Amino acid sequence: MNTSSVEAARRRRFDRIVAVFHADMYRYAAWLCRDKAIAEDVVQEALLRAWKSLDALRDDAAAKHWLLTIVRRENARYFERRRLETVDIDNLTASQAALLAETPNEELDELRESIYELDDDYREPLVLQVLMGYSTTEIGELMGLKQGAVLTRLHRARLKLKEKVADEERS
Amino acid sequence: MSPATELMNCDEYREMISADPAFDGGAGHLSSCRACQAFRRDIQSLNLKIAKAMQISVPELELPELPEVETENVVPIAARKPFSKPAWFALAATVVLAASVGVRMFGVGVDYDSLADEVLAHLDHEPAALRVSSTPVTDTRLTKVVPADVAQLDHSAGLITYARSCEINGKTVPHLVIQGEHGPVTILLMPDEAVAEAVSLDGENVHGVILPIGAGSIAIMGAREEKLERIEKSVLNSVKWST
Repeated sequence: MNTSSVEAARRRRFDRIVAVFHADMYRYAAWLCRDKAIAEDVVQEALLRAWKSLDALRDDAAAKHWLLTIVRRENARYFERRRLETVDIDNLTASQAALLAETPNEELDELRESIYELDDDYREPLVLQVLMGYSTTEIGELMGLKQGAVLTRLHRARLKLKEKVADEERS
Repeated sequence: MSPATELMNCDEYREMISADPAFDGGAGHLSSCRACQAFRRDIQSLNLKIAKAMQISVPELELPELPEVETENVVPIAARKPFSKPAWFALAATVVLAASVGVRMFGVGVDYDSLADEVLAHLDHEPAALRVSSTPVTDTRLTKVVPADVAQLDHSAGLITYARSCEINGKTVPHLVIQGEHGPVTILLMPDEAVAEAVSLDGENVHGVILPIGAGSIAIMGAREEKLERIEKSVLNSVKWST
C-alpha cells in the first residue's frame, strides 16, 4: 500500500469511527462538564487527539471506550487550565442552561435538573451506565475505582434522584 | 455491597437493584417480598426516565482541522486484528451447523440475503407485533422469551411492548418490539446467526439492519421514516449473549 492510500484509509477509518461515536462523545462531555459550549470545545480537542493517536487503536471494537477515555482526559485538562467555578442552578450561563432545556417535557426537565445537580462523583458513573451502556466493571476501569465503589455511587445517585422525583410529585 | 445471592435481605437487594437496574440476582428474596418487587419496578421506571433525560440533542459533527500524520509505520487496517480463536470456533460452528440444515453458504458466513429475506418476511407473519402500544410486557413474559441462558437484557433499549419466541432459520429466537418515534421497532435476537458485517434490510415499508454482536447478530427494523441509529446503539448496549 503506498503512502497516499494508507493516508486515505486512515482518514476513512477515522471518519467511520467518529461518525458512529460522535454523539456519545458529545453527550458524555456535556454531562461531565454540564455546559454545552465547553462540551463542544472538549470534543474538538478529543477529536484532534484521537486523530493523532489513531494508530494506537488496534481494534475498532474498542473505539468507543478509547474515545470516551480521551474525552474524559480532555475534560480534566480543560478544567486544569480553567479553574472550575461552583455551578449555581439558579444562575446558569446560557450554555449551561441549554443543557437543561432540551424538550418541552416538564417531568423530564425536572429530572434533567436533578441529574445536573448531582455531584460529579455520582453523575459520571450514572451517565456511563445509563447512556453509554457500561457495566460496573467497565465504569470502574475508566474511573479508576473498585467495583464496590462504583456500585455504591450508582446506588446513591439513583436514591437521590428517586427522592427528588418523589418530592416533585408531592409538591 | 454483597454479591448476588438468594439470601439477600431488603436493604441488600435494594442496594443492588438501584446500583444496576438490570441486576437479576436475589430471585429468592424478590419472589417473596412485594415491597422489593415494587421498589424494583420504581427503579426500572426511573431508569428509563433518566435515559430519556440524558438524551440531549447533539450538534452537527464539525471536525477540527486535522494535521498530517506520519503514516510510514502504519499497519494496514486489514492486517490489524486477525480473528481470535473463539471467533474462529464460533464461525466454524456456524458454518457446520448451517451446512447441515442445507443453508446456502458462501465465503466466511451465512448467505446474508437469505437471512435478510427471512427476517423481512417474518414481519408479515406477525401483524400483532406492529401495533402501537404503550403497555410494557410483563417481566415474566420477557424472562420466558429471553431466558437468562440465552441473553442478558437490560431495559435501557426502550419500552418493550411485545415479546414472543419465533423461528428464524430453523432456530427459536426472541422477537421483541419497542416503540420508536414512528411506530413499533422490531428486534430479533439471533445468538446463533453470525454475520461478518452489518447487513442492510430494505423492505416494502420498513428498513433496518442486521448487526453483528459477538458470535451472533441482532436484527432491528422500523418504519422507513424511523431513524434507527440511536435505537441500534441502545440495543447493542443493552444485550449481552449468555453463551
